[in-house]
Amino acid sequence: MQTPGFFLELFWVAIKARAQYRADFVIGCATAVLAQLAALSFYWIVFSNVPSLGGWSGSGVLFLFGMTGVVLSLSELFFNGIWLLPLYIIEGDLDRLLLYPVHNLTFLLMARPEVHAFGNLLSGTVVLGFALHLAPPPALAYFLLPIWVASGAVVYTACLVLLACTSFYLVGPSMHHLMLGAHLLNASRYPVNIYPKALQYLLLFAFPLCVAAFVPGHWLQGEGSLLAALVAPPLAAALSALLAARVFARAVAKYQSTGS
Amino acid sequence: MEPEPLLRASAGLASGAPGESLLSAALLRRELSAAPLRSPPGLSASLRAFVTLAEKTLRARMVYRFSTLLSVLASAGGYCIFLLVWSEVYRHQGNTLALSPAQAFPYLVAAFVLNFTLSSALESRAGMRIARGLITVDLSKPMGFLPWHLAQAIGDMLSNALLALPIAVLGLVSLGHGLAPPDMSAACLGLASIVLGFLVNFAISFLTIQAFFLTDSYYGVAFTRVALHQAFSGLSAPLVLFPEPLRSLAACLPFRHVIETPARVWLGQVDRLEALRCMFQQALWATALLVLGNAVFRVAVRRVQIQGG
Repeated sequence: MQTPGFFLELFWVAIKARAQYRADFVIGCATAVLAQLAALSFYWIVFSNVPSLGGWSGSGVLFLFGMTGVVLSLSELFFNGIWLLPLYIIEGDLDRLLLYPVHNLTFLLMARPEVHAFGNLLSGTVVLGFALHLAPPPALAYFLLPIWVASGAVVYTACLVLLACTSFYLVGPSMHHLMLGAHLLNASRYPVNIYPKALQYLLLFAFPLCVAAFVPGHWLQGEGSLLAALVAPPLAAALSALLAARVFARAVAKYQSTGS
Repeated sequence: MEPEPLLRASAGLASGAPGESLLSAALLRRELSAAPLRSPPGLSASLRAFVTLAEKTLRARMVYRFSTLLSVLASAGGYCIFLLVWSEVYRHQGNTLALSPAQAFPYLVAAFVLNFTLSSALESRAGMRIARGLITVDLSKPMGFLPWHLAQAIGDMLSNALLALPIAVLGLVSLGHGLAPPDMSAACLGLASIVLGFLVNFAISFLTIQAFFLTDSYYGVAFTRVALHQAFSGLSAPLVLFPEPLRSLAACLPFRHVIETPARVWLGQVDRLEALRCMFQQALWATALLVLGNAVFRVAVRRVQIQGG
């Protein structure tokens, strides 16, 4: 039951269950597109007032927007279950989940895909495609793109897992602390060099949410190195995933049921 | 002891004769129609219930203190991104934009404080109750569906205002007088505009709730409302900095009257006549949306299907 095949089947069943409510599926996708458009409206406002932001052209920042959209969608599609951890703890559902003979973190992450992720995936891909059309990159970039977005999704999910682990110690029904991760991911829509040094450090090293978009974007702008674009995103993903899995395992080991 | 006909009928007991059974049923019908469980509450009782519900909502928000505090920090952290982007824009463009930095940054801080204060858990609360069938309890309250939600929205607003207070004080310390209204009349008009902004926001939320009766999940519709609010309320920038097509569109929608209008009136960035004109528009939007929401509610509530648990 620990094979990747099992988790893929679990994911597929969960997707089918979520897609049963067709109207909700369509509305969810449409609203995700709207949310991306709302974010893009700020891009439009900013670039109607300035020609560049932190030395980045409009197409460069659009690349960051597209990357962020796709990263968000992949995390929502494959690893969305983490958002329900605070409720699972309060309602006692986590006790049941921990008794399943499966890897509990992977099961938790993959058992609840979010259908509006398809809307984010669509809008993110369109924006990314448009950005690459405006400033065509070298052919190598197209091969690296899947690695960059997958790395970004893993880093974002790991960040959410770390934030969600606080729910083991500070029990409450709210998911607002997870929103901190979502807000930090939003920061990757803009060039990191416009932020103060402390925030740059936070977003590139402590919670490397901007690595998957900013470092490749920097290389595509002709300023960063190819080596950094090649190595930094997967490395950040591997280290983040390792840390998140360790912290989650420790939290589970010390977990005492709420008795719900 | 012979049970009363009414009790027998309600317990489903068979009567001795067919005539007696008909008589029992007729008695039961008359009993139910003639004696409601409770007479409708008077005005003072309704007001007391309204205030109590608002207070309970406020207290409920304060139960999970750490979680609530984190939500403030998360919102403030997210909003800092906007501020940092505008800082970069002003660093390069200086005073060449339509709004000077001395006006723009107090506006942005005021917009954040207002947005945090006026946001409520109305939609998620109602959405969950509709999805779980608990809405039947709300619909049977003598207070009425709209006042029921209004009381909760007031409770949310009061708790949010308490939480936003430290951020407002921090803003006052860092921006000085820029965040305070220039004179007493601007302060009074600003406060009135904030109340009207709350009503516009509540009316939009109440209208949004009606769509939940038609969908299985409230998330999509609620998210649409949030997306429109973020794009058109002036939360990320005052409308004067918007590109022309976006500005025209925002001017036609009610969302700007939740954030932009109260923030600019409070900061004295519009003259008194313009402030009164904007507040009139706020009142108009609030009234129209509340009337529309109530009308849609009467239709939507007939379509709700409770699955029975």
